[in-house]
Amino acid sequence: MAPRNLEKQLNILDYALSSLWRRRMKSLSVLLVFAAVIFLLASFQMVTQALTDKASQVLAYTPEITLQKMSAGRQEAIPLAYRDRLAGIFGIRRVVPRIWGYYFDEVRLANYTVMGMDVREMPEGDRLDTALAKGTIPGPEEQGRVVVGQSIVKALNLDERNTFSLFRPDLSLKTFTVSGAFSRDTDIMTNDLIVMSLADARDLYEIPAGLVTDLCVYVANPKEIGTIARKISAILPGVRVLTRPQIQKTYQVVFGWRSGFGSICLLAALASFVILAWDKASGLSPEERREISILKVLGWETSDILAVRFWESVIVSGLACIVGMTAAYIHVVYFAAFLFRPVLMGWSVLRPDLHLVPRMAVGNILLILAFTVVPYLAATVIPAWRSATVPADSALGG
Amino acid sequence: MFLNPWSLALTLCSLVVLVLGAVAAKTAVRVLRFWEPGSDSNRQIRLENEIWLSSTLVAYGLGFQIMTLILFMLAADQFCKVIVGAMCATGALLANPFGMPALLVKLVGVFFYGFWILLHQLDIRSEHYPLVRIKYLALLLLLPLLVLDATLQTLYIAGIKPDIITSCCAVVFSDTPGSTTNLMTGFSQQGLLIAFIGSIIGLTVLGWTLLRRWQAWLADLYAAGWLWFFVLSLVMITNVISSYVYAMPYHKCPFCILKPEYHYFGFALYGALIPAAFFGASAALAGLVRGKAGLGGVVDRYQRLAVKVSLILLVIFSALSFYHYLKYLISGGEG
Repeated sequence: MAPRNLEKQLNILDYALSSLWRRRMKSLSVLLVFAAVIFLLASFQMVTQALTDKASQVLAYTPEITLQKMSAGRQEAIPLAYRDRLAGIFGIRRVVPRIWGYYFDEVRLANYTVMGMDVREMPEGDRLDTALAKGTIPGPEEQGRVVVGQSIVKALNLDERNTFSLFRPDLSLKTFTVSGAFSRDTDIMTNDLIVMSLADARDLYEIPAGLVTDLCVYVANPKEIGTIARKISAILPGVRVLTRPQIQKTYQVVFGWRSGFGSICLLAALASFVILAWDKASGLSPEERREISILKVLGWETSDILAVRFWESVIVSGLACIVGMTAAYIHVVYFAAFLFRPVLMGWSVLRPDLHLVPRMAVGNILLILAFTVVPYLAATVIPAWRSATVPADSALGG
Repeated sequence: MFLNPWSLALTLCSLVVLVLGAVAAKTAVRVLRFWEPGSDSNRQIRLENEIWLSSTLVAYGLGFQIMTLILFMLAADQFCKVIVGAMCATGALLANPFGMPALLVKLVGVFFYGFWILLHQLDIRSEHYPLVRIKYLALLLLLPLLVLDATLQTLYIAGIKPDIITSCCAVVFSDTPGSTTNLMTGFSQQGLLIAFIGSIIGLTVLGWTLLRRWQAWLADLYAAGWLWFFVLSLVMITNVISSYVYAMPYHKCPFCILKPEYHYFGFALYGALIPAAFFGASAALAGLVRGKAGLGGVVDRYQRLAVKVSLILLVIFSALSFYHYLKYLISGGEG
């Protein structure tokens, strides 16, 4: 029973293919529009996925807890003395002070991120050398030496020279010597970054001694993050305590929200496509009526014609999925999703040119299918039934 | 949390299924009111055409429903990343009281749509369409299930607040005393294993006997056995099998096995178990309509096929579920 049934389905599939080919212009137009809709949705999904992945990669190296002092609801410098008040909490591996700020370069109209910290104090700090394309990380005693990201090298023309100057708030110049450059692999973190020693950053921003912008707390056991964060906020009530899992979830929510919002916008495109598909499928030409009548006279049943229509829909949506998803992949990987990047990413002027690699899990493919193929199949089923129930004698008599 | 691609996709699929169900229900009402098998009036011919539409719609509905079931699991797995304290789908589903019921209704729904399609297939094999009235009554009864499904799912999605603290699966299924949110406790691993193996042997023997000599009461017993085995297997997967798959004694979760990290093993496992239980139970169900005109031979053929298919799937399921266990016993597990 089973092989005969299979053979029947294969023959019906064969017939569906030839019937699609006979109406190739109509099929092709539906296919192209469908592929375009899938392309838009799949690109969006892939960019979100890739950005979420990137964000979690980046966050893997951030400190477990970051402390910022709040005053009147805004962030301000935090006294170094707070470090000593955390000494009693077990489980804290290390507290590293950090000066983190932005520097707006008025000549090149670009924002740089300045990070002043003693990198050797970070756990794994010694391994930072591996993230460099050339040079070394300067030690704490080497004044005025910095490591820069790739787009800073480009913006400041640091290929030919290795010194540059930035303005202090009082417009006096501070000169830096480049001791190394980050490699392209870490662009999403280091592209617009200038890493210097704590003393240099304090000098550049004229931050008084004894103050930094934030304190990074490294925790030995990730399971204790929540407890330690609670203890810290009990000891230092005026301080904002940010934990890494919290930041991670926030990213997830933001990306999910943005991608959901994008999908809602694309739903309009989807709806118009469904109407098009419905319309194309219900317009039954006299030839099609005759074809179905002849099939019925030849002994085809309603269910066979429904099966033909089903296979036609499956072939069209399958091809459209392959075309649309491949195009989306190329768009995201080779063109860095230029259509959607402004929506999903931040506002920084020096935007890293990202190399996004979408990870296509089965779940994501299923998600895109649910968004596109399900409405399409649903839109074509009633027209398919209408065409399948054309009576055998309707087109032959006249 | 509707502004998330997963919630949107689920809602969209539910809407589509509801629309298909509503169209099918319209036909059902007309069939129940106007069906006259002997008549050749225009209305009767139109109705005979319409039953094709409704059956196709339910078949599509079943397909979409299976898809939303998988999508729902995967979505829960995504949601857990934004819910504080949830580390896998378990935590996400327990984040509000509608998660687990929604999953359950979806699972039950898949069975019921399957049963309906079985009725339809049996019906069209006979020239007299003897099951039309039963079939359309059943279709109308399916409708509340659809609505319930969509409602629970919507309530679940609406109730997800990205900052609620829930338990991760390490807490919910753990057997450390004192944890109050334990989903499944009180099962001894040995006892479960014995019951599981015993049920497999029992079902195989029953199925074998049925194939050699068909008896109605045995078929009923076989169906009841499958329902028991289905529930037992879900408990077994949660409490015993899953931790062997994860190679972690305290990780007991029926959902994480669906993840790519475990090579989508769960899909194979559930993909064998659910159809097996469906076919096993459906043999007895088909027997209920054997008395109708022109159905005797069709039902007999179907019942034998269903028992055969369920036995083959049972073998596959048992092989899959013991694979990691035996691998652990023989080679000491992973690595």
